[in-house]
Amino acid sequence: MKKGYWIAAALTLGFLGFGLTAFQKTLTPYLTFDEARKARGVVQVMGGLDKQSDRYDTATQQLFFDLVDGNGRRMPVAYRGIRPGNFRDAISIVAIGRFREGRIEAEKLLVKCPSKYQGAEVEKAYSSAPPPGKIS
Amino acid sequence: MYFWPGVVALWGALLAGVSSAVIYLRVERGRRDLLPLARTTFTAFTASIVAASAILMTLLLQHRFDVSYVNSYSSADLPLHFLISTFWAGQEGSFLLWCFWGSLIGLFVWRSAKEQEAPVMVVYLATFLGIVAILCKQSPFRLLPPPSPADGVGLNPLLQDPWMVIHPPVMFLGFASLSVPFSFAIAALWKKRWDGWITRALPWALLTFLTLGTAILMGGYWAYKTLGWGGYWGWDPVENTSLVPWLFTAALVHGMFLQRSRKRHRKINLILASTAYAAILYGTFLTRSGVLADFSVHSFIDLGITGWLVAILATFVVLAAALIVWRWRAIPAAEDEETPVFSRSVLFILGIAVFCALGCVILLGTSAPLLTRLSGNPSQVQTAFYGKTTTPAAFLLLLLSGLVPFVSWKGETLSAFGKSARRSLFVAAGLTLAALALGARKPETLILLFTAFFAADMNLRAVVRKAKNGKLFGAGGYFAHVGVGLMLAGIVVSGAYARSERLTLPVNVPKKTGDATLTFLRVVPGTAQRKQAMEVKVETASGKSFYAYPKMYVNSRTGQMMANPSIRSSPLGDLYVAPQQYDPGQPETIGRDVRLVKGTTTNIDGTGFTFRDFNADRSAMMRGEKTILVLTDLTITPPDGVNHDLTVRYVFHMDGREPEAEELDVPGVPGGKVSVLAVSPNDGAVVVRLRGVSKNPAEEFHAATVESLSVDVTRKPLIALVWGGFYVMMAGGMLAFVKRAREARRAVLEAAEKHAPLPLPVPSPGPALPAHTRSSL
Repeated sequence: MKKGYWIAAALTLGFLGFGLTAFQKTLTPYLTFDEARKARGVVQVMGGLDKQSDRYDTATQQLFFDLVDGNGRRMPVAYRGIRPGNFRDAISIVAIGRFREGRIEAEKLLVKCPSKYQGAEVEKAYSSAPPPGKIS
Repeated sequence: MYFWPGVVALWGALLAGVSSAVIYLRVERGRRDLLPLARTTFTAFTASIVAASAILMTLLLQHRFDVSYVNSYSSADLPLHFLISTFWAGQEGSFLLWCFWGSLIGLFVWRSAKEQEAPVMVVYLATFLGIVAILCKQSPFRLLPPPSPADGVGLNPLLQDPWMVIHPPVMFLGFASLSVPFSFAIAALWKKRWDGWITRALPWALLTFLTLGTAILMGGYWAYKTLGWGGYWGWDPVENTSLVPWLFTAALVHGMFLQRSRKRHRKINLILASTAYAAILYGTFLTRSGVLADFSVHSFIDLGITGWLVAILATFVVLAAALIVWRWRAIPAAEDEETPVFSRSVLFILGIAVFCALGCVILLGTSAPLLTRLSGNPSQVQTAFYGKTTTPAAFLLLLLSGLVPFVSWKGETLSAFGKSARRSLFVAAGLTLAALALGARKPETLILLFTAFFAADMNLRAVVRKAKNGKLFGAGGYFAHVGVGLMLAGIVVSGAYARSERLTLPVNVPKKTGDATLTFLRVVPGTAQRKQAMEVKVETASGKSFYAYPKMYVNSRTGQMMANPSIRSSPLGDLYVAPQQYDPGQPETIGRDVRLVKGTTTNIDGTGFTFRDFNADRSAMMRGEKTILVLTDLTITPPDGVNHDLTVRYVFHMDGREPEAEELDVPGVPGGKVSVLAVSPNDGAVVVRLRGVSKNPAEEFHAATVESLSVDVTRKPLIALVWGGFYVMMAGGMLAFVKRAREARRAVLEAAEKHAPLPLPVPSPGPALPAHTRSSL
């Protein structure tokens, strides 16, 4: 019986170790715009929408907009997908993606809007569309 | 100000609960004459909680909008079933619901606990008193200062769904019933009664397994058919914190079977019962305290109870851990008869280890924002983390559940096992080859599928074997494993081979995706019974055609755009059409739209436009008309430099009619026209349309756009297996529940017949009881 416990312990530890590695690999930090520019891998940035900046390109089905942080710095974002509902009313937008060619290429947007429900704001997640034909 | 009957009921519950616990404690110390009083006070506790719940429900049904909770979550226009569900739409109500189930379950617990009644009930009460205390502090009966509002804020439209009506009660029933095994485990540690508790607590652990599982499925199915992102599971903290206790409960259920059958492995269950309960408390803390506010799509608000939740969590974790450590050496470990590694006992232990490890890893991911905050940048894990870690765990669980039916407690030789497994190996290989032929390619998918089919077939044969012997109720575990195999096969296939495409469908223009052709035909206007929907004709390659009606409508209370997918289900797969955006199209327009911010001047080809202020005239609205007149004051500075003041009228209709915009000549610019297109008082900005002002006419020309609908079209192969497998798993759980509940009842009756404390198996490290063979499971 003891042997069974040893195997179970080894299995558990091995799995936890594997989990920890995966954890470190997939961690996406909240970064400031400056940090995000230097970062490799997936990051998330948060800011307010510059309402003058958003533009939807029908041909490529991409949405472009700028986020502005508390210090007035800007971060351009490109997102493959349609402008989320309530986008313009957002209090803040979180863009999750990689920094490439001077902008965040967002895989996911979290749009936080004021809501009268539950006394606070609501957030909705939007995922970028898969490139056409790709098996996702 | 509070609605006092409700407050009295809650404080009454707290008082009765504390008294009952204290009296039970004295019973425990030898005052057995106080037992009837202890029970009476517990009944008073139950009555008070039920009364508080009834009062809250009555207030909701009566539309007492002066009560803050009623005002925040309900409104006069809700139909009855949604009105009832507003009870648990907020935190206070859901805490009350949790206590409601707990107080009712308690009535059964004292009847079944018998000789362990006093210690069990003390712990059981303790698990709810913290929540009752929170309810006393954060009362659902707070009144709003007068005047009382005429209507409430309403129920979040996303929650206005039949699934969301029953999801929380089922979930909290599971939470509440997990208090029972926890209380029995703590009482076992306290009174050193190592075995008797298993029989009594097992049905409750199974009830949690069933109810939490069902609630999780309902939540997933709701997400799938309502939210429109194509999935049923998003690894969101709220989802994870219900999944993890369920995994620990699954581990506990297996551990309890093991201890019941083998009369050993006692420590495992004491640890598991504590861990599973702690997982619920930790999840409650994560989702109710606001610590994850920036990391989830669900909204969390800090009600100021974080400290309380931490205190409750810490109390129980420390209590359980300290007791386990303190008693560790006293817990009898059975004398070790050498069990071979390839035996059912070891398979069970490995299964429990995998459940726990998986639960811990998911908790680790969910807690990432908390953990990383300690060392600087708060971070979150990508959802890929969960996919990466659950895949090997799913494989291991499938493998173990596939091995278990034909391996006995005493061990099996590989050759004997090979003989009994041969048929299932062939079946699994055949089905996997079929999947390969149908286009499955990824190696990890094929391995998982093979293992899933193997597990399902092995267990199916075990069910048949049991049924032939007339012991169908004893086949619950195998039955559940058949379901697990089917469900995981469904999850793997529908996830790995989903094909998704985003299409923009101009009206009446067929577009092809995969083997289907979609044509957007028209908008079907909403009625009182039916939401506005989009009519899309779908033609499949085989020449069949049908109409899909994804819903897209504006919620009249919030102005929020709501979109629900249309799902065409067949046994082979779903066609999932999720609307993304509707563009009504616009005719060709002439004009240049310019956004003017209050107090700034915008220069358009030499002419300055200054937006000074606007005045909204709501007098028409006051008279009951749904109309607002907005007067916009502009100063226009043509190239000659002379300022002209101009006031432009704009009439906004709230009933959806087109706004009326007056078009005025731009002074000093021959042929120039200005009108107001939109006003946004919050930004202090207006959008004006200028015609004949730009020097280049091309800047004022906008070609017509066509009415169109954008949709995400997803094919989800074999997703019916996910739901179907789940039903089978739950049916197996039900069988096990019925069997174990009967056993528990028999044990209670036996104890009652003897009128004395049960003669428990002597807690001495004596020789193991006769080992049961596999037929005992």
